[in-house]
Parts: sequence; structure tokens; C-alpha cells
Amino acid sequence: MTRLQFTVIWEPRNMNSFLRKNSVPLVTFAVFAVLFITAAQGMEKKDFVITLFRGLSVGSVTFLVASGFSLIFGLLDVLNLAHGTLFMIGAYIGWTVYVRPDTFVDLLTPLALILSGFALADVYPLLASRIRLGLSMKRILPWALILVSILLFSFVLPKYPISFWDIGTYGQSPVTYSFMADQGTPLAAPAAVFTEISAPLALIGLLLASIFGALGLSLFNTDSQQQIKLHWKNFVSFAVLLLLALLTFIFNESLTAALAGLSSNWLFVAAVLVAALSGAGLGALIESILIRPLYIRPIYQLMLTLGMSAIGIEVVRAIWGRPEFVMPKPEFFSGTGGVCPATNFADWWANHCSTILLLDGRVRVYNEIFIPIVGVVVLISIWMLLQRTRLGMVIRAGVQDREMVEALGINVRRVFTVVFGLGVGLAALGGILAAPSMGLSNVMGESLFLNALIALAIGGLTNYPGAALGSVLVGLIQQFIIKYGQIGIALPFTDIIFKPTPPLVPASTVLLMVIILLILPNGLLGKKE
Amino acid sequence: MEYILDVQNIHTFIGQYHILQGVNLRVPKGSIVALLGRNGAGKTTTLKSILGLTPPREGKVIYEGKEVQGVRSFDIAAKGIGFVPEHRAIFRDLTVEENLKIAERGKGDYLRKRDFIFDLFPDLKRLITLPGTSLSGGQQQMLAIARALVADNHLLLIDEPSEGLAPVIIEHMMKAIQLLSKDSTIILVEQNFLVASQLAEYYVIIEEGRSVKEGSMKDLANDKAAIHRYLGAA
Repeated sequence: MTRLQFTVIWEPRNMNSFLRKNSVPLVTFAVFAVLFITAAQGMEKKDFVITLFRGLSVGSVTFLVASGFSLIFGLLDVLNLAHGTLFMIGAYIGWTVYVRPDTFVDLLTPLALILSGFALADVYPLLASRIRLGLSMKRILPWALILVSILLFSFVLPKYPISFWDIGTYGQSPVTYSFMADQGTPLAAPAAVFTEISAPLALIGLLLASIFGALGLSLFNTDSQQQIKLHWKNFVSFAVLLLLALLTFIFNESLTAALAGLSSNWLFVAAVLVAALSGAGLGALIESILIRPLYIRPIYQLMLTLGMSAIGIEVVRAIWGRPEFVMPKPEFFSGTGGVCPATNFADWWANHCSTILLLDGRVRVYNEIFIPIVGVVVLISIWMLLQRTRLGMVIRAGVQDREMVEALGINVRRVFTVVFGLGVGLAALGGILAAPSMGLSNVMGESLFLNALIALAIGGLTNYPGAALGSVLVGLIQQFIIKYGQIGIALPFTDIIFKPTPPLVPASTVLLMVIILLILPNGLLGKKE
Repeated sequence: MEYILDVQNIHTFIGQYHILQGVNLRVPKGSIVALLGRNGAGKTTTLKSILGLTPPREGKVIYEGKEVQGVRSFDIAAKGIGFVPEHRAIFRDLTVEENLKIAERGKGDYLRKRDFIFDLFPDLKRLITLPGTSLSGGQQQMLAIARALVADNHLLLIDEPSEGLAPVIIEHMMKAIQLLSKDSTIILVEQNFLVASQLAEYYVIIEEGRSVKEGSMKDLANDKAAIHRYLGAA
């Protein structure tokens, strides 16, 4: 990871080396210069301001996806093609917490129970080594356990009461819930109660199913030479999950009421936190279960992540339905009427206007100011994490030489899981942040993921500041081309009015990538291998 | 004699290649043992097999009385084995200080060992804030050894410490290694027989993945025929 260097080194004798040494500031400067010069050709000041802010906004969301992808690729050498899908899943999870907190609370108990069995993963090998079995029993046992687990799950889960929407009925679908919440009159949802199955039976059934399933899966691993000692620490996460399940079960109603009573601002904060954390958890789970066996087979990894991407989209379609819908913005950013759009910051603060006038341009506060601010905050905090903490040190070292880090006595595999979780968490964070501005759709991650890939190619594939720089460039170029498409642009020194068509938007970023890669094959800030 | 490490007939595969085909190696506590042999004989693989980086498929590795073959490599290293690899493997994106800090196994290891390390390699002290990339070959080698000293290691595996270094620096390095052997046991892989013969008390010769000859260094130094036969040097 290079430090950003924008100091210009001036050696007039050797123009060639001057160009090479200062390529990063020069190329960046050139791109901005082109933007500004073209902007001067018949673009009004307000259009320019708006486009600039929109570009920063798109750039910030792109950066959240790109930075996570680049962290994962840098350390693990895994090209996570499902990153765009995980971005989308983050948006849908956040939406659920925001619009249907009751569903979210209902889901907590069964989820905690399902995970609790897997939290005992360190205990199973010991259990397995204590049981002496015949060879044929040894082959059958894991499958039998998994079968029992599946049967138990399929018996309990459909009967477990969860207050849910109905994608088949328009009036009960996420679209309607979202619309009504946006109108300020949330649709009342009936509370779920245990009718088909008794509560203790359901809870115990899920717990047993989870333990059987996890035990069965762990029996496939025959690393019998590992030395294991049983320690109370191995039971901590299990106990915590069990406690969480019980608490959320007992206090289900009061928790739902508390969440529903929150102002939309705090609910949005909760949605962002839950989306980012469950993204991180999902990432850690994917790494430890699916990716880990495939480190020696990179092609299989590619196919796995590509497949996960497709499956993820279908799962989201099955749960939340196919149609696109909007996510209401929190009150803090949605004020209208009165003095809105605000003309200064004090006015905006007093009325929480959804828009603010900056240099005559009407800027949407959430999309174009809040999101870039979050982008900068994330940029700085991840940068600090990488530069100032021991974990960051291990990550930076591991990007270069995993074997040596391991030879120092550091469990690199665990760091892998953490980094995969972190990367996916960043994507999910991007998803929930983008949801109120982009709206939710099954394919919202795809174009953004493509943007992120282009941004990384421009900035340098595994370079963290490069990811930020590339994302902002991609965002700006796209938004300016879109704007030119609307207003037309006078080509310099001619009378021709040029109007780029919408297909030129993706093409423009690819063109930028091609030009930059021709000059700098490793991207703006990438290092030569 | 008390052995800190006892490697018994290990076989290691890398991919499909049967690299080690029976290496035996016994390391008396507090000694320096040199692994000798031609290029590609399997010396580096032997070190990596001890550490579990290329886990042996057969045979036993007994470290401080416990079998460690099949244990995950970071767990083996954490038992007190320091590794100074070929080509040093300095972390380029970390500063010199971070390169040392990352080797901490307990909190404060670095602070405790700092003075000892800088007494041994005074050069490193003034380079402390520089990135790993900016070091010369000799400085990198010092840093690589220093990194293995941060944690409390009883056994150091040092791979080709003299490779590509100027004679003056090699001398400095040899003094440092001699000093270190007072407190810890060292396995040294060394192409330069002169260096190896001055440092080590014992030797093991590895040829085509097998340990073929072992004994005291003094005997080997006088055995010109064996040196010629196994090492190709006079």
C-alpha cells in the first residue's frame, strides 16, 4: 500500500522520467482538467455543481464496494464475484429492519438457534475422537446426522411463526409496505403467534437440528492429527447465542414495540448497523464454509462466487419479490415545504430539508452530501485500521507473504475470515446506504459491481487509496456524461452540439480505464509486480 | 545428549513431487547444526517441513519432546521456533519497526527485546521508521534475523544468511549468529562452506531429499574427500 503522493518532482532535464515519476498527479489532474474544460462548454454553474456532487455520491458507493473487494483480493487472492450481490443483500436486510422491524425481531430467535450449533465447532472434533466407530459407521454417521438435521429443520421451520409479508398479494407485498411507510402511514402487520407448534418444541427442535447439522458437517473433516484441548472459551459463543435466542424470544413483543416506536432516524441507524454486521457475519460464514476448502483451486473459487451471485439474486427474489421498490429516507433528510430547499446550512439544520441550494444547484442532502461524508469516514477509518492496528499490520504483511506471517506464529486463516467478513460488511454497508437513493432491485448490485471493478483497474487492484481515487473518477465521469446527454455539449472550437447517448455512460468509464491502463498498466497507484 | 528437535524419517511432497524422501535430523540443545548439500537437495524444504509450512506426509517431527507433525504451522511456530527464510521475506509495506512488532507473540515482546536487538544490529536502530523496501540486502538480513528474536524462540531456523552479502557484512552476521547461539539452538542452511564450518558444531548433509551423512563439523572440515563428494567444493 503506497502512501498518496501528490508532491511534484521537477527535473527539467529528463522529461520522460518526469512524466513517469509524477504520473499519478498528472493523470488525475488531466482527468479533472478535461472535466472542467468540457464543463465550461455550455454547462451552467448549477448543473456543474449538481453533477459534481452526484459524481461524488456514486463514487462513494462504488468505493464501498470496491474497497471491500480489493481488501479480499489483496489478502486472500479470491476474486469475489458475488460482491455485487452481497451489496444488494445488504440493502434488502437493511430495508427489512427499517420498514418491517417486527419481522426482524421475529427472525432473531430462530437465527440465533440455528447458528448456536455451529458455534460449538471447536468441540465436535474432540467428541468425534472420543467415539470409536466402525469404518462403515464412520461413513454413514455424518450423512445420518445431516439427514436428521434437515428433517428437523423442515419440520420446525415452516411452523415457526414469523410475521412476514406476502410477495404474492400486492397489498401485503414489500412494495406496499415500503410505499405506505414512505407516505408516513405504515401498514399494520399482524403479530405472529405460536399456533401450529408449541414454543418449547420449536426452540428445542431448532437447537437440536443445528447441533446435529453442525456435528455432521464437522465429521467430514478428518484432520485427526490436530491437537485439541477442551476449554471453557469454546463454549462462550454458544452460550451467548443461546442467551440471545432466549432473550429475544421472551422479550419479542417489547423489542418489536421499542423498535417500532423509534424515530425513523434511529431506525435507519439500526438498519445500517444490522445490514453491515449481518453482511460481515455472512462474509465470515461464506469464507469459513465455502471458500476455505478451495484455496488450492482458484478456478473453482471463481465458479463458486459466480454461482453464489446468481443464487443470491434468486433467493432475494424468492423472499422479497421481483418488483423494485423504494426505501423511505429517514426524517433527518426528508423535510419539505417551509423554507425548503434550504439556502444555507443553518436553515437546513432547522428544517432537515431534503435538498439544499449550493451555488444555485439543488443538491439532495442524503444522496449527495451524506453518502460522500460516510464514504470519507469509511475511507479514513479503514485506512487507520490498516495503518495503526495490529490486525492492519498483519493484513498488509499477509498481502505480500502469507507463509512468512504464518511462520511468525500468526493464524492467518482467522485473519482471512475477518477480512472476508470486513469486505462483505463494507459492501452491505454500501447497499443499505445506497438503498434510499437508488431504490431496491434484484440487480442493483450488478452495474455497481462493474463500476467497482473498473474503479479498481484504474486505481490499482489491491491498492486502498487507489480504490478511492478510481471510484471517484468513475463516479464523476459517469455523472458528467449523463448530464451531457441531457443538456448537450458544445465541442470546443466548433458549433457542433454533442449529445452522448445513455449507452455511452458505461462506455465512457471503460474508455477511461483503457486509456489509464495503456499509460499505467498497474493502475494509478498500483505497484509493479 | 538432550535434543531440542528430533526429525525422524520425514517424507514431504510438494504437489506431486516427492521432495524429501527420508530426512533424519537431531539437534542437540544449545548447538548450531548446519544443513549442507547442493542446490535443490531439499534443505529449505526440510526447514519448512519442521515448521509445517510444507507438512510432511510421513515421519515424525519431535520438538521439545512433543510430536508436532500435522499441527498447524502457526501453532508450531508459536511453540518457540523462529524462522529466517531464504531471501529474507521482509514485509515491504511495513516499516522496520512494524516488521519487528508483527513478530510479537505476547504484548510487549518488542519493547522487552528492543535493546538486545539494537545492541546486536545497531544499524537497525536508525532505520526504524523506514519502509522495508528501502533496506539494503545486508540490512534486510539483519532485520530478518532480528524479527525472529522478538518473540521468545528456543530454536532458530536460518536459511542462507550469507547469500548475496558482502564479506564484511557476512562477518558481522556470523558474529551475531555466534552470539545468539549462547541462548538458543540454531539450524543453519548454508551454501558457503567456510561460513558453515566456522559457525556450526554439527552438520547433516542432505542429498536428493535424503540425509546421507552427519557428524561433528570438525571431522567434516578435515575430510576433503567428503566435502568434494557431497558439496562439490574443495
